[in-house]
Amino acid sequence: MTDEKQTIELMNIAENLVTFGRVHGADEVEVAISEGTEFNVDIRLGEIESLTEAGSKIIGIRVIKDMKTAYATSSDFKKRTLQNLVKSAIYRTTLADADECSGLPPAPEPIPDIDSLDIYDPEIPELDSQKKIKLAKETENIALADPRITNSHGASFETREIQTILANSNGFLQKYNETFCSLSIGLQAGDTDFKVEDYWESSKRHLKSLESPEIIARKAIERTVRHLNPKKIPTKTVPVVFEPLMTSWLLGFLFSCVSGISVYLKASFLTDKMNEKIANEGITIIDDGLIPGKLGTRPFDSEGVPCGKTIVIDKGILRNFLCNSYAARKLKLQSTGNADGAGVGPNNFYLQPGIKTPEEIIASLEEGLILTRTIGHGLNPITGDISRGAFGLWVEKGEIVYPVSEVTISGNLGKILYDITMIGDDLEFLSAFSGPTIKIKELTVSGQ
Amino acid sequence: MKKKEKIQHLKFEDRFDLTESDLKKILNIALSRGGDFAEIFLEYSIYHLVNMEEDIIKETDESIRLGLGIRVLSGEKTGYGYTNDHSFEKIKKAAQTAAAIASESSLRNAKRFLPQSIPHNYYPILTPAHSARLDTKISIVKSVYSSAQKYDSRIKKIKVSLIDQIQHVKIINSEGLIVTDVRPLIKLVCVAIAEKGQKREIGFFGGGGRVGLEYFKNTLKSEIIGSQAAQEALGLLEAKLPPAGEMPVVLAPGHSGVLIHEAVGHLLEADFIRKKTSVFWNKLGGKVGNDQISIYDDPTIPYFRGSYNVDDEGTIPKKTLLIHKGKLAGFLQDRLSAKLMKKDLTGHGRRQDYTCIPIPRMSNTYMEKGEYSPEEIIKSVQKGLYAQRYQGGQVEDSGKFTFSVSSGFLIENGKITAPVKHATLIGTNIDILNKIEMVGSDLDFGLQTGTCGKGGQEAPVTDGCPTIKISKMTVGGK
Repeated sequence: MTDEKQTIELMNIAENLVTFGRVHGADEVEVAISEGTEFNVDIRLGEIESLTEAGSKIIGIRVIKDMKTAYATSSDFKKRTLQNLVKSAIYRTTLADADECSGLPPAPEPIPDIDSLDIYDPEIPELDSQKKIKLAKETENIALADPRITNSHGASFETREIQTILANSNGFLQKYNETFCSLSIGLQAGDTDFKVEDYWESSKRHLKSLESPEIIARKAIERTVRHLNPKKIPTKTVPVVFEPLMTSWLLGFLFSCVSGISVYLKASFLTDKMNEKIANEGITIIDDGLIPGKLGTRPFDSEGVPCGKTIVIDKGILRNFLCNSYAARKLKLQSTGNADGAGVGPNNFYLQPGIKTPEEIIASLEEGLILTRTIGHGLNPITGDISRGAFGLWVEKGEIVYPVSEVTISGNLGKILYDITMIGDDLEFLSAFSGPTIKIKELTVSGQ
Repeated sequence: MKKKEKIQHLKFEDRFDLTESDLKKILNIALSRGGDFAEIFLEYSIYHLVNMEEDIIKETDESIRLGLGIRVLSGEKTGYGYTNDHSFEKIKKAAQTAAAIASESSLRNAKRFLPQSIPHNYYPILTPAHSARLDTKISIVKSVYSSAQKYDSRIKKIKVSLIDQIQHVKIINSEGLIVTDVRPLIKLVCVAIAEKGQKREIGFFGGGGRVGLEYFKNTLKSEIIGSQAAQEALGLLEAKLPPAGEMPVVLAPGHSGVLIHEAVGHLLEADFIRKKTSVFWNKLGGKVGNDQISIYDDPTIPYFRGSYNVDDEGTIPKKTLLIHKGKLAGFLQDRLSAKLMKKDLTGHGRRQDYTCIPIPRMSNTYMEKGEYSPEEIIKSVQKGLYAQRYQGGQVEDSGKFTFSVSSGFLIENGKITAPVKHATLIGTNIDILNKIEMVGSDLDFGLQTGTCGKGGQEAPVTDGCPTIKISKMTVGGK
């Protein structure tokens, strides 16, 4: 359980530093403290490989003077260190340039009821280490019992408990507690020179919502062995089905293009497209920080702006960029409660599900690829160009015929948004970016 | 000499309020459940950032990282605790957490400390950035910015960042080791966006290393960083996507070192070898590529970003031969893997910071030069791709890797012709090593800006290579 006395102490540190900064000449001051505990155990081939348990805290400071900004962070909480950092930050503002868009958000707004967000599980800090070890061991045991599995990267169980405290010179002082837990395993199949590998991870706010060791092991096995004995294919432009994890990956790329920061820097292909049609009518994309119990849920962002629900793309029309208060001022928009440190981050950013089952979508492929995994870089927000190493399953007449590897996929996000011809009903919130199975009309798959 | 060491120690003990006898006590607590080995890693780092965009110095940042991690090894098991609360109680708790990994009946005690002085310094610096005046750094940033801006009127947006760090580490272990390293690190980078009609492209350039600010006057002039970023962005405006499919690929010297890093380096990190997850695990001494190929990892190259005087386990690093004339010759070891594999330490145990367990990592990885002139190599290609700059790469243990080419050229009839952009190359490492046909005589290193990620930990690295010809590779394009 969190320690009441420590919480009060940390809130005092935050408030006092805000006052200290104001007294020493800053126009505005913001102090954020993140304090937490971490537990991680890695099991490999039945034995504990490593076990880490620790508590730590970090403080982030922003000062603004004459519309000039300076930041500081520290893991050293000595009073003298923190006060010196504030003084040095105030001095550093004098060497920066005035920026009329700088500054804290305007007067604090009421924040949502934290309890109803359901992001803290009291069972997590209470959970016995031996039980955590057992969960990871069980997961690996089940996976290793499958004769097709030839090696293990290990299974891990991780928990985190974090307390966030935020204070600023506009009178904001709030805190919230949250928990995370995850159980994962990575596997290999095949002989040394023909290995394939994949993993599965269940990551949640609550222990009770974690997938069981059995389910996690089965998913990891299935995901791994389905890539055995891959074929190379000739270069072809074909329909491509994205599995949910791949849709999430695509949404992560889209997020970087609708982030207010990329937009005001003109580093996004969507820069001048507000209120224009950028996708087909079937596409609605939402960022929502208030869905109870999800990984991206939080009451307020890193500047204290309450999180909410923002429709980014509404039936194909671009309706909003996701902003912190700086990007919002730059773009003459409102902050959407997406501040994350000094930048912009997602809350729960997802594609609204459709009505087709994944099976129906796959069955609709005359010839094409199911994209299961990508590796590498090759995303360019300025042009929307995508070029990645890819793994997948080749489909003919609606049936999976063999796995493919050593291919790359290339396309353009602007075009893909129009080319999503089918959307699955299988949306699950697996991370901050979530999407169901989708079908893209065509992408270039480069092979031989 | 002894006196100097003592001053170094006092500095740390002041920061942490810990005496040498406290440290000894903590090590003994860490060993109290019967571990084979215990270690304390103390870190004090200062980081600064200056950011310029939209023609103004937009923000500056200063960060302090102070904390310690305690590790206990027991057989193949690792226990780890860390804290940035420096009360003896909290540190003791971290030691007990780490200790709990062991359950042996025979107990050891920490040996007497034997302070180790390091006979070398790979980064003697004139003007350390961390203590330089902020306005000096701002003027460097401005000179990069204006050189990009002046380069061409089609350059519409520029971002310049100067990041400097100084990391003090002290490593103390139960075998009596006590050693410190003070590691400076600078990175100066420029991103430039060029516009022409509806087209927008992004260019990047940068440099730095474990150097002082004089580097940007004497070695890599700050103006060059701006103009190179602008030049790349402008070049991309005229570039087309490459044709897709299998073709010969010529890798430009220097930046293409990312191929060596991804396709070879990672899979020779000893943890992947002893766990038999790397495709190389059973190939030591075996032929894995053409005779022309020799690959090293060398943490001792002066001023390089990936270099260090001691690794994060206190081991003095060695230039390590990985592939010798096509034969697999060695692995990158940390303490745990070396012990389990009964091999010598190579000094490649690195960690991101005090919150992380050390693991085998690369430092500065490169392919040794060969015999062919770059001109002969290009001349030998009828139709193919010349890969010049990269966004990065990724590999998995099975040897499948990709790397993303941000810019390059077509090769037609032995000549470099039209510019191309955004190609992804994919392959399997042993296959590609066997397809390396020609190795050039022009070894160079990539930008001193690279960061490698492994197991959630980031580490500064450098890589390099001469011009290389690969007979056939899958290129993703249009």
